[in-house]
Amino acid sequence: MNLTIQVGKRQAGAQLVTLIGRLDTHTHGDLDTALAPILASRVHSLVLDLAELNYISSAGVRSIFKARKALAGHGGKVLVARLQPQIQKVFDVVKAVPLDEIFTSVDEADAYLDALQRKVVEGEVEED
Amino acid sequence: MQMRLVMPDDRTRLRELDNGLVTALSAGGVAFDVIADVLLIAEEIVCNAIDHGFSEHRPHEIIVSVEQRAEQVAIEFRDDGIAFNPLDRPAPNLDADIGDRPIGGLGVHLVRELADEVSYARDATHNVLRVVLHKSTQEPLE
Repeated sequence: MNLTIQVGKRQAGAQLVTLIGRLDTHTHGDLDTALAPILASRVHSLVLDLAELNYISSAGVRSIFKARKALAGHGGKVLVARLQPQIQKVFDVVKAVPLDEIFTSVDEADAYLDALQRKVVEGEVEED
Repeated sequence: MQMRLVMPDDRTRLRELDNGLVTALSAGGVAFDVIADVLLIAEEIVCNAIDHGFSEHRPHEIIVSVEQRAEQVAIEFRDDGIAFNPLDRPAPNLDADIGDRPIGGLGVHLVRELADEVSYARDATHNVLRVVLHKSTQEPLE
């Protein structure tokens, strides 16, 4: 069992990435490689659809941490959607992402980002 | 069940270990999600042993033994790497801001949290890590 990485649509600066299979000591390097050009491309945030990810270990969590660190510099986030029980358990134990950045659907994650962006834009207007 | 894995410096044989554990634990009536926890624990322990204990340029071995009792399953990981006690590692700060959070230390934290008991001993030339889990997911009645 391996990891399949599907790079999906990008809208409003958020890149959708779908992970299928296992994110572990064997496959985390594939994710790092796939995310590197995305993280270098001034993307604001990432949305990870994990509906078909059925196993993660600390090696996989480290890859997600690296992405979170890379995006945090400009206020970007890694939002995760549709966690299977094993993924949810591991995320709970290591607090892999803040609870309010875990979503039950990709649409909810997108809506959260839209609201975040609107807040940023409005904030800039108020400051002017 | 006992499996002896001779490890050069790669992790490819972890999958054989996974298969062996699934077969042995399913036959022993261990709950599905407990088996999932065991596979995660096995990956974390074996990777830690390879990363921290297998520094010399020779093949190493990890012997994994599974002992099943009525309510519990005990798994022993015995490797011939340099002395390394992963339990010495301080718990990671899970509440730090992402910018300040170290990316290491999560594997051992997962092992501690998922296992009911975990202990380390140095037995002459071997590291011995022993992990115990309840076979069912329900907490035993007190």
